[in-house]
Amino acid sequence: MSYEMWAEKYRPKSLNQIINQKEIVERLNSFVKARNVPHCIFAGPPGTGKTTAALCLARDLYGTAYREHLMELNASDERGIKMVRENVKTFARTRSIGEISFKILILDEADNMTSDAQQALRRTMERFTETCRFIMIANYSGKIIEPLQSRCAPFRFSYMSQKDQNSYLQRIIKKENIKILDEGLDAIFEVSGGDLRKATNTIQAAASMGKEIDAKTVYSVIGRANPADINEMIKTAMKGDFLGARKKLREMILKYGVAGSDIVKQIHTEIFRSMLPDSWKVTLSEAIGEIDFRLVQGADEEVQLSALLARLTEAGHDLKRGA
Amino acid sequence: MHTAWTQKHKPQTLSEIIGNKDAKQKFLTWLKSWNRGIPKKRAAFLYGPPGVGKTVTVEALAKELKMELVEKNASDYRTTEAIKRFAGLASQYATLSGGKRLILLDEVDGISGKADRGGVRALTEILKTTRSPVALTANDAYNPRFSTIRKYCLLIEFKKPTIREIVSHLKKISAREGIAADQEALKFIAERAGRDVRSAVNDLQVLAQGKKRLVYDDVVWYAGRDRKEVIFNVLRTILYSRDSWEAKKAVSAADVDPDMLFNWIYENAPYHLTDPHDLVKAMDSLALADIYRKRIRATQNWSLLRYVIDFMTSGVAVARQRTKSSGWIPFRFPEKIRFLSSTRGERALQSAIGMKVRRRCHMSAVRSVKEVLPYLKIIFENNSEMAAGLSKWLDLDENMIEYLAGNKKQTKMIVAKIG
Repeated sequence: MSYEMWAEKYRPKSLNQIINQKEIVERLNSFVKARNVPHCIFAGPPGTGKTTAALCLARDLYGTAYREHLMELNASDERGIKMVRENVKTFARTRSIGEISFKILILDEADNMTSDAQQALRRTMERFTETCRFIMIANYSGKIIEPLQSRCAPFRFSYMSQKDQNSYLQRIIKKENIKILDEGLDAIFEVSGGDLRKATNTIQAAASMGKEIDAKTVYSVIGRANPADINEMIKTAMKGDFLGARKKLREMILKYGVAGSDIVKQIHTEIFRSMLPDSWKVTLSEAIGEIDFRLVQGADEEVQLSALLARLTEAGHDLKRGA
Repeated sequence: MHTAWTQKHKPQTLSEIIGNKDAKQKFLTWLKSWNRGIPKKRAAFLYGPPGVGKTVTVEALAKELKMELVEKNASDYRTTEAIKRFAGLASQYATLSGGKRLILLDEVDGISGKADRGGVRALTEILKTTRSPVALTANDAYNPRFSTIRKYCLLIEFKKPTIREIVSHLKKISAREGIAADQEALKFIAERAGRDVRSAVNDLQVLAQGKKRLVYDDVVWYAGRDRKEVIFNVLRTILYSRDSWEAKKAVSAADVDPDMLFNWIYENAPYHLTDPHDLVKAMDSLALADIYRKRIRATQNWSLLRYVIDFMTSGVAVARQRTKSSGWIPFRFPEKIRFLSSTRGERALQSAIGMKVRRRCHMSAVRSVKEVLPYLKIIFENNSEMAAGLSKWLDLDENMIEYLAGNKKQTKMIVAKIG
């Protein structure tokens, strides 16, 4: 009996195994052929193959001993300037032995780097271009400072289509002997939205329950895995129960680690879908934008978002009274 | 019967007293100078906030230098008569047995009021002519009524020791009492006591006596000496006075930590300002206060603190416009603080698992906790075989397995399958 997280077990090992992002794969393959890689930025939403593409590129380039020529750093865990000074520089300045003279440094979740660290990286990147090529991975390339962006070839990754996701999952289904209904697969796509890691984790958790996977199983997995329901919180506030909404907010942030920026984003989306009069939507949008900006500046997520919840409570109250 | 730990663990030597290195040295040098004859200043005035070691310094040094200590305190100098009564002591060079004498006039702040005008004069006379060293202690040496006394004294300022110093002191006491105390818990006590060592030791006794182990959760509830009442008064003014000036004043009078107070206001305001429009104003104001807190952290420019105070006090006070008062509503302990402390252990375990996932899954520990952990939990609860495999692959320990599995029975099954 051997089990891994399937998201790792079935992670493609070579660029040719990547089933989506055709244009990107084509260009990366041309780098391999030319034995030369520029500094790159891989940007795009989670679970779309950014890290996988970077690892595959290295493996195709260096062969089985690729680990010796590769360093993976994660900016979320070590985001400061010290990281650049210590880890990055030491790795970047030494020459690689072998046919290819440069090494590859993957800087994952690079949009979480402090701007000081990014500034420091700028010089490092230039000085050691001969010996090291950087692949910066980020959800939003906008959070990478301009000077770094201009030194890198940009690649934009996008969510999988349902067809691509299903053909990837089919391989797992076959190898792991899973019984799944079509409605189960549809449900997985509905909840993952083309985020392949989420889809794979969902199917593994559903399979662990040991019965045929139908839509209901999928929803129950997702319900268990994402108990923090932003919509529910918005509804609670609009109903006039500010305290209830704040409690949900607190749980989301402190217990489930939901990012404040994600909460703002979803509130924004929901407001425009809501029944509120158009002029209110614009007023609320102004407040939402302001809070979003403050969060980027590092203000306290719970305090700022509760101010937003108070606005929603007020809006719900006025709406009810027909004001 | 328990003795007070402040007595039981009172420092016996100068080196056992924490902090105030310069002040202790200055006092020691002055006291030793008496060996070469009567110095210019015959008295030393030790001043500083309560509980920082003024009296204890005098006591310990007397012991170390083998001097006889004559202690007088507030009750001894209530009247001129009382002061004259011990003036005789000071006129002698030495004790009957030939030893040296040190006179301690503790807490001279106690001399006050019209009745004591003569008292100050009598005291001044003693300081001018004494043949034994005199040490005075007070909280505030610069009170006008000490203006003449000051002239005859060597002024020695005592400051609050650092949190770190207090924590190490508390640690020593805990060890002597056979208590394993967490750093975090002791730090909380030291901070809560406002770096007053005496009250920190008292608090430690209240919280730890009879325990083998003291953790953060044991102490976080403890609001500290009278603090709760102080905070409640401030809250009442801010939430009910509707007066921006009153609200501001209440804070400066209360001397509470602004960050702590912020949490209290943030927690309680929505319970008391129930009208949605008032609520928006109050929460907006608190959000602004938070922005300035952030700016202080970023720039270390503490003069910005006044705006934090403005927004969290006056801003909230003037928010009350439409809310009808609806009887007595109790104040609540900040949920955020309670939540963080009660989930502390859980969060530590989560991030330990996150680190394990990170090693395997090419993602940060932070994201592992958010994106992988919930699925692991489902798997561990439902499928002991898959869980056993994953435990091996991720190299999880039994603690982690139990956290993911949710109960002992399932944990046992998983562990058995790991073999």
